[in-house]
Amino acid sequence: MNTLNKTKTSALLWWLTGNPKKVLLSGLLAILFFTAFLPQLTMDPEAESFLPKDSPALIYRQQVEDIFGLNDPMVIAVTNEGKNGIFNPDSIELIHWLTQKVLAMPAVNQERVISLTTEDNISGNAEGLVVEPFVDELPISQQQADGLAQHVFDFPLYVGSIVSKDASTSLIVIELTDDANGPALYESLLALVAEAPIKQNEVLHVAGDGAVSGYLSTYIVTDASRLVPLSVIIITLLCFFAFRTVQGTLLPGIVILAAATSAMGVMSAMGDPIYVITTSMPILLVGIAVADSIHIMSEYYEQRAAQPELSQRLLVIDATQKMWRPIVLTTVTSMIGFFGVYLSSYMPPMQAFGIYSMLGLAIAGIYSLCVVPACLMLMPAGDSSAFKSKNNTIKNDIFSTFMTTIGKLVLARAKTVLTLSLILAGAGIYGAMNLSVNESWVDNFKKTELIYQADVAINATMNGTSNLDIVVSTHEKEGLFKPENLHKIEKLQDFVERFDVVGGSTSIADYIKQMNRSLNENKPSEYRIPNDENLISQYFLLYAASGDPTDFEEEIDYDYQQALVRVQLTNGRLQSFKPVVEALQVYINNEFNDTHIKASLSGRVYVDYEWLTNLVDSHFKGVALALLLVWLVACLAFKSIGTGSLALVPVMLSTLAIYAFMGAAGITLAVGTTMTAAIGLGIGIDFAVHTIERVKVLIKSHTAELHEPDELNKVQIDSILLQLFPSTGRALLFNFFAVFLGFGVLGLSYVPPLAKLGMLIAFAVSISFIVSITVLPALIKIFQPRFLGFQQDKNHIALALNEATIESSHAHQEKA
Amino acid sequence: MKIYLFISLFISTLVCSFTLQANTLIDANWIVQQVNSRDEGEAVSRQLTMTMIDRSGKKRVRETQAFRKYFGDEKRTAIFYETPKNIKDTAFLTYDYANKNKDDDQWLYLPAMRRVRRISAADRGDYFLGTDFTYEEIKLETKISVDDYNHRTLKSKYIEGIDYYVIESVPKNSHVAKELGYSKLESYIDKNIWITRKAIYWDTKGNLLKTITFTDIRLIQNIWTAHQIKVVNYKTEHTTEFIFKNVNYDQVISNKIFTQQTLKRGL
Repeated sequence: MNTLNKTKTSALLWWLTGNPKKVLLSGLLAILFFTAFLPQLTMDPEAESFLPKDSPALIYRQQVEDIFGLNDPMVIAVTNEGKNGIFNPDSIELIHWLTQKVLAMPAVNQERVISLTTEDNISGNAEGLVVEPFVDELPISQQQADGLAQHVFDFPLYVGSIVSKDASTSLIVIELTDDANGPALYESLLALVAEAPIKQNEVLHVAGDGAVSGYLSTYIVTDASRLVPLSVIIITLLCFFAFRTVQGTLLPGIVILAAATSAMGVMSAMGDPIYVITTSMPILLVGIAVADSIHIMSEYYEQRAAQPELSQRLLVIDATQKMWRPIVLTTVTSMIGFFGVYLSSYMPPMQAFGIYSMLGLAIAGIYSLCVVPACLMLMPAGDSSAFKSKNNTIKNDIFSTFMTTIGKLVLARAKTVLTLSLILAGAGIYGAMNLSVNESWVDNFKKTELIYQADVAINATMNGTSNLDIVVSTHEKEGLFKPENLHKIEKLQDFVERFDVVGGSTSIADYIKQMNRSLNENKPSEYRIPNDENLISQYFLLYAASGDPTDFEEEIDYDYQQALVRVQLTNGRLQSFKPVVEALQVYINNEFNDTHIKASLSGRVYVDYEWLTNLVDSHFKGVALALLLVWLVACLAFKSIGTGSLALVPVMLSTLAIYAFMGAAGITLAVGTTMTAAIGLGIGIDFAVHTIERVKVLIKSHTAELHEPDELNKVQIDSILLQLFPSTGRALLFNFFAVFLGFGVLGLSYVPPLAKLGMLIAFAVSISFIVSITVLPALIKIFQPRFLGFQQDKNHIALALNEATIESSHAHQEKA
Repeated sequence: MKIYLFISLFISTLVCSFTLQANTLIDANWIVQQVNSRDEGEAVSRQLTMTMIDRSGKKRVRETQAFRKYFGDEKRTAIFYETPKNIKDTAFLTYDYANKNKDDDQWLYLPAMRRVRRISAADRGDYFLGTDFTYEEIKLETKISVDDYNHRTLKSKYIEGIDYYVIESVPKNSHVAKELGYSKLESYIDKNIWITRKAIYWDTKGNLLKTITFTDIRLIQNIWTAHQIKVVNYKTEHTTEFIFKNVNYDQVISNKIFTQQTLKRGL
């Protein structure tokens, strides 16, 4: 940095260290200020939150839900593994018992509870249409239960939706009066299921979209309240091991607190809710924010051990000033990673994640550079036994020694290191090309969670828990009495039901077919749409003679102009439903394209399709953007395109390593994993920045000592580069531990997307760290780039490469 | 001590005044009797427009010609649909028997099938032809059931120029409650003409369910007649409005109208 900046910096540092109380007090006040906003935070665990509020798919879905009065239901599944399935007196009684208990719950919309014991059968007799409950009186004998089974299987609409095809499972579908009561109702349903009088062979499950989003908010709060303290404890322990002093252990705590409270506080103040993904923010910030203070404290203790004669104030100023540049630089680059996430994502949760994490990092940087020095003045830290031995010499502790060993190894086998890194890059490119997206809302839960198992169990036997809706609109009122339009709907259903993942579909056409059959002596051949518009409209009047006014609300609008075809899928993951959605889109464009009849897609599955299909694009956009910005900043900071590009090597390799790893482990791009590359890049570049910064300083000081700059030989280069390891290497090791553990803690999350995000970033920073301390020195050794201060000519490179080859073959021989 | 004495005196005065008030209220059963003995005419013919409106405000309008006639204790009703076009000539016929043990008979003629369909005996709490009225309410018209409920006078109330008795009716037992679908009903009865102007219903869980209001009440051939009846269902947000026109109690209505033949042949 230029002298002007330097003087400015040192002036600031003189002031900061001269007014430590003021600085600390303002720091604490700012934390209090941010904390004041925290109580107003709200939660938004809904899948819909991944699309912007004004997204057409979301607005349309809301309209559709309004027209047809739809709601995400909760579901109790009653399964009986016995011979007759649920068709036995005990299981029917159990269903009845559960239904009655559910109906008595205040949060439940009584009009919208569907079970075998609430639903009506549409059948015919000699004189007319009979609409009566399937279960008028509970069966007491197996014979009566068999009779009920016959009735149910005679009503195709309910097979797969209320009772499974194999009769093993029956559902109680429950809608709420207010979605806000979701979590509470889910808990009551679990309690109800736990106290239900279950007989042999009977199993109960609670699931459904309503249950998922209902439970998710409780689930993520529990998860965060477990992980946040854990990460604080781990990071504090880490600081203790790094510095072994009270100050060294506690000071970083202020930085962590400021970073986490500012990010969450401002988010709250801006009125943004907590999304599933942003619950991880405090945990991540703990790990990233501590890194800066680790570098400052390391430098301080090192200086203190090296120059014990200096005053406390000079020590603090000197240490902070040395670290000022790299910390500003690494803070900016880390922020860029999150900025990449913010810029490239169209999803509000990720945008919030990007922007507020950036803020947290900026605050962490400011606190590390201003409040930490002030605190060191107020609580002068004594010598750290990690840096100074008893006889007052600079000590190389086990961590320094370890890093030095690594350094020796790397410098001895530079070429092997490079070859390995090329292989890694190749594997990464292959992985990136095969990157695919997959995600289901239920994947937010661990596989051992009740809700996950319930989803699996229901999807195994029933039509499926994921809904894809098709809205068919005619151009005139009562247009859906017209047989030709109903035939189109029928064909559409036939088409979509051919897909394996589609469990079944329902529409008003099915009810009309059932009515037609009932009025024609229940003949199976009459399960069809009659060819008379008036007859169809009269069926509805006839039905109304025994049904409720709102009975077909979910299938057809009140003007008989719009119908909802609900397609149920047994798998809610993108890779399963993508072909169905895309084929349907084509089908609709071909078959429903005139002025008389139109169709469009909606429903949870379609909304998921909309935001997930753009995920790959947004992912690579985010990575490219972050890479470009990080490179620009590095070039500017080092005032050299070469150095800036060199700094990019570790993060590029780590990004490719993520893809290789995802490919090998079968991990797909999803909500959690999509952000890994950009974030890993922003954080991982820190290691390269610190390494290169130190190498430059080392080379500069050495070449200054030499009379003939060209004299720099292999031994000298090695010895220069080796100096990197005990000090910077050690600090980087702890920096790495902090970030790795911070993200690693997230890996313990019970919310799989967060766990994957945590693990992948931990993996990415590991690679960045390893590459920064192995591949970078190896590259520097072999190429001796001029931009780092080497006085080189072409021969040098050839020579160095040659030596490296000989060396590595030597090493191989030795090994053999 | 004085203050306690004062408070207890005050409370006992309050209790006494409430008891006195209750005593001065007229017996609910007598009120119900007045309502039920009001003249309804032996037979009536009228044009009935049914308007059903769903949650989102979409309407279904049906124009009909409706007849009702007493055959002793037995009440017969026939409704002939005129619009909309696709249900024109559809007709509905019901025989309500005085004998409680005998199920009422109902038929619907569907012109597209050219057949009279018998509708299986509806529960009294079932909805009538897609409206928010139950079969029981259609049957009772403006009367109040004596057999199903225990009645109690709640208060006397003056609202917008009309004096009301407000009576509360609670089903006699849970079986009746379940059958009718109500746990309670409050009726606002006009003291002067013994006609219910408003009735509020609560479902079996005790939640407010629906309100029926009777308006445009005019004297037709010396019989008080509500020309507009509106039901608002608070749970489904579905509403129904019946508007009566050309009400005629004097017209001679042939017994033949109430037969399956007329149902099929039309008026």
